[in-house]
Amino acid sequence: MWRYFLKRFLLMFPTLIGVAALIFFLMRVVPGDIVELRFAGESSAASKENLAQERSRFGLDRPLWKQFAEWMWGLARLDFGKSMWTGASITDEIKLRFALSLQLAVMATIVAVLLAIPLGVISAIKQDTWVDYVVRIFSIAGIATPSFWLGILLILGLLIVFKWLPPMVYTPFWVNPWQNLAQLIWPALAVGYRYSAVATRMTRSAMLEVLREDYIRTARAKGLVENLILSRHALKNAMLPVLTVICLEFAFLMGGLVVTEQVFNLNGLGLLFVQSVAHRDYTLTQALVLLVAAVFIVVNFLMDLMYAWLDPRIHYR
Amino acid sequence: MPFLVSLVALAQVAGAPAAAQEKPRSGGELVFVVPSEPPSYDAHREETFGLIHPMAPHYSTLMRVDPFDKTGTKPVGDLAESWTIAKDGLVYTFKLRQGVKFHDGSPLTSRDVKASYDKIIFPPAGEVSLRKSAYKVVEVVEAPDPQTVRFRLKWPESSFLLNLASPWNWIYKADILAKDMRWYEKNVMGTGPFTFVEHVKGSHWVGKKNPNYWDKGKPYLDGYRALFMSSSSAQVAAVRGERAHIQFRGFTPADRDSLVQALGNKITVQDSPWDCILMIAMNHGKKPFDDKRVRRALTLALDRYEASKNLSKIAIVKEVSGIQVPGTPFATPPEELAKLAGYGKDINASRAEARKLLKEAGAEGLSFTFKNRGIPQPYEPLGIWLIDQWRQVGLNVKQEILEASAYHPMLKRGDFEVAMDFQCGFIVEPDLDLPRFLSDSDANYGKSGDKVLDDLYVKQSQATEAEERKRHLRAFEKRLLDEEVHSIMTLQWHRIIPHSSKVKGWTITPSHYLNNQLDTVWLTE
Amino acid sequence: MAINVPVEIATTEAVPREPRARWLSAVVGFTRRRTLGAVGAGVVVLMLLVAALAPVIAPYDPVTVDFGAMLAAPNAKHWLGTDAFGRDVLSRLIYGSRTALLVGFGSALLGATVGAILGVGSAYFGGRIDLYLQRLMDVFLAFPLIILALAIVAILGNNLQNLIMAITIPMIPRCALVIRSSALAIREMPYVDAARAAGFKHGRIILRHMLPNVMAPYLIMLTAFLGQAILLEASLSFLGLGVQEPTAAWGLMLRGAAVEFAETAPWMAVFPGLAISLAVFAFNLFGDSLRDALDPKLRTL
Repeated sequence: MWRYFLKRFLLMFPTLIGVAALIFFLMRVVPGDIVELRFAGESSAASKENLAQERSRFGLDRPLWKQFAEWMWGLARLDFGKSMWTGASITDEIKLRFALSLQLAVMATIVAVLLAIPLGVISAIKQDTWVDYVVRIFSIAGIATPSFWLGILLILGLLIVFKWLPPMVYTPFWVNPWQNLAQLIWPALAVGYRYSAVATRMTRSAMLEVLREDYIRTARAKGLVENLILSRHALKNAMLPVLTVICLEFAFLMGGLVVTEQVFNLNGLGLLFVQSVAHRDYTLTQALVLLVAAVFIVVNFLMDLMYAWLDPRIHYR
Repeated sequence: MPFLVSLVALAQVAGAPAAAQEKPRSGGELVFVVPSEPPSYDAHREETFGLIHPMAPHYSTLMRVDPFDKTGTKPVGDLAESWTIAKDGLVYTFKLRQGVKFHDGSPLTSRDVKASYDKIIFPPAGEVSLRKSAYKVVEVVEAPDPQTVRFRLKWPESSFLLNLASPWNWIYKADILAKDMRWYEKNVMGTGPFTFVEHVKGSHWVGKKNPNYWDKGKPYLDGYRALFMSSSSAQVAAVRGERAHIQFRGFTPADRDSLVQALGNKITVQDSPWDCILMIAMNHGKKPFDDKRVRRALTLALDRYEASKNLSKIAIVKEVSGIQVPGTPFATPPEELAKLAGYGKDINASRAEARKLLKEAGAEGLSFTFKNRGIPQPYEPLGIWLIDQWRQVGLNVKQEILEASAYHPMLKRGDFEVAMDFQCGFIVEPDLDLPRFLSDSDANYGKSGDKVLDDLYVKQSQATEAEERKRHLRAFEKRLLDEEVHSIMTLQWHRIIPHSSKVKGWTITPSHYLNNQLDTVWLTE
Repeated sequence: MAINVPVEIATTEAVPREPRARWLSAVVGFTRRRTLGAVGAGVVVLMLLVAALAPVIAPYDPVTVDFGAMLAAPNAKHWLGTDAFGRDVLSRLIYGSRTALLVGFGSALLGATVGAILGVGSAYFGGRIDLYLQRLMDVFLAFPLIILALAIVAILGNNLQNLIMAITIPMIPRCALVIRSSALAIREMPYVDAARAAGFKHGRIILRHMLPNVMAPYLIMLTAFLGQAILLEASLSFLGLGVQEPTAAWGLMLRGAAVEFAETAPWMAVFPGLAISLAVFAFNLFGDSLRDALDPKLRTL
């Protein structure tokens, strides 16, 4: 078992390096660079010498492999460098948005779990009854509805019905918890509903599978109280795929909520992503992609651990 | 060149409000929203309003545009108390105000003005100055004594004074520039009405009243706070929720309508033609756009008057215009404009002529791709309108949208048949607006090399009397838009600023780069 | 490696029955027993019909600008109202279904098929090939979707084909992984070993024995992708990538004027969103029930 985990742990690195290489070269294939962008705004067009000067300032005229090597070397020392667009250190640029995205991801996940687990369990127990149908329709509606559209409707609803607008400026939780929550609860609901949908379906199907497992039949035959069966045996094994989904979706929430952030004006990682690509801010985009990929890879690894711990019946190659 | 009498301009402290019945009240913090953040802090190398809006209050310029003039074309002195122009129009001498101090307490002298302008006009190697080419006419900047700055020109230029009133020509401290030319990219040190307090990235910018501002009694505000919000719905929400007083760029007609409906007379709306316009660039190097009949057909197809009425309800465009913003001194009056191709009142006749021309040129039912920029206002609505209008003369147009970073390189490479071109100025002045149509301009994406046009430009630039200048400008416009149709003007943008009625002392101008120092602004309570 | 969507944990089934008969009978019994799924399938078929017959049933031309009828509320002449350019919302919705289905089916089919091929190949050949392919899939899986889409569109240009590509590429690794784990289980089966011992070529074994067995997860992934692809198209069009004006596309209809005028002209934002939701809903209902039907363990009910 330990050898397996070591192998999986080590495998994280080539994946990360692969992602790093991909984003590095992808950005450079995309036409246009930051210099052209900076100096071709609404009014004038800068001269060619200006552009060339600026390029060498950014080190963009050096050979590609050299740029890549320098960047990788910086990463090894955990130095992400500076954003090309603003010149500020990337850690600073990311810090503020990271806190917001993280909080939103956590809140959305809580909403999702609070909705999904009870709904999924009830739906599984009462399979094929009207309760099941209602829950299934509710959860599929969550998957089907574009969350940004839901966000638009939410804001509209608040405006028209309650004549109230959520705060549009971010205050960290420890500064002013009420304003912070008043702003983030709405996107958390819009996003959380969607993810509860996926998790509900997973919970339901996992519960269904497990409810029919042999050992449940045996437990029933032995005459254990129904509830005990459910809680101890069923839930524990149903957790596996549900946790899978929750973890994967959480990883996606960090940096994947581009459109939602636009709709709610949240200064999160998603918005930063889009801006950095639009600015052709190579260093920032690369750092962001690595960050998000790293979160995803680590979460996956932790999930593998959980899988092994929760269900020793599983065999691995 | 035969010449005009030398002028002696008397300085007005740009302070007497045009229609000020109420007395300005001191105090309060102005809160406004800004759609984007400054990429660096140095105005000499940036051209985004994201820099001007939060930072202009920290700086003074030598000359500025009269903040109370709605046309935004009147130069008045900021740091300059008075000025004289030599008889031959080649020497401009400015007297600086006394007692102006930088925010660190040190006094401003002509050395600082000279150092700043040297940086703009004669930047050292490795330094970028975006406006260098606008001051090609300057031979040298001198500072003969601490209160005097002198500009010597190579040839007379009637627009020079207005040109100097550029909102980007911030006056920096000579000592700092001498030590480190790049210092101002990341730091703030000016003589403006507000001192710098803080900039929290992704969040806000705060400025505080400068107690030692040269204009005693001003600024009225205790300070200001600029909130960065990129989403326009959030900006509108902020104003609507009364969390912000104003946004200095412009809102859409829909936003204005919803604000007025929600807040009634707590909202004041100021609007004006905007010194921005989208033009259609046609690649003169690609068939059939090298044929001026085809180009003429493209402009004849457009019903500008109907569009002006309807598009202005949903997009930030409105006025039908030629080469100058309507309402400004050199703009062509509407009756004259109606004589140009595409500006006639009888659209059916125009379109019939367009079809005829297309047939003659063998381009009937032509298909082409129109490349546009992926910005919701007003690029996209105009794109939809254009395609529909061209359809009415049998043209089959497909639209391709490029995002900003791909868009500029595409234009520069000339990789298009027909594309949306754009121009945004900070001061309405033919010498600033027209150079892009000249043969040698980098911004002449359609590559129309027209010597006659170049010639007309020089004539108008060197004209000494307004009437003579107008004549040349009319000829220029006729050749550009009617005879050769090198470019096609769509509609002038329209700037709509709905703001809290508490905000006073701010007058809208055609440019969102102007009138941002906030020294004249005050809040009622 | 952790697995995403419908889960396949190593089964403890005994020797399975012949693969083909199993899923055929499942499909037949499907319509009878899974009403929700049948409803979903019905809606899908309806959508296909609407898309095919668009020129016939749409009351107006979707791109004609009519300033006289700007921003009109739903009325007798325009059942779902008009947009900021006076274009009929209903007609645009109808034509928009074409784009949605084109993008949806195009990317889902492409993504699921390529993914399946890679997954089966990876499982069958094993060893080095498997290792490298898996790492490649990992890299793409970890790569943020939106950046990939932005980059592809920026490089290749902003049109429908590239949009389909941008949506397809993230789907491939997800499908590959799920198919791979199914295929792995098959590979261990006695009859596969028997076939190899008998000297059958790789291609034949893959085609005759492995592919039919991954049909179930393949179909499930396909229907899951269909809904996702439509949603993704909506998001990307909303951001301005992909389909361009004046073409009618649901995501595009939500962009710009729809949000701006949401208060005074809500029909512009409500109906396209409903259309998207309905389409994805239908695909998911269908896929849901399909999975219930095809999943071997649940068949016994």
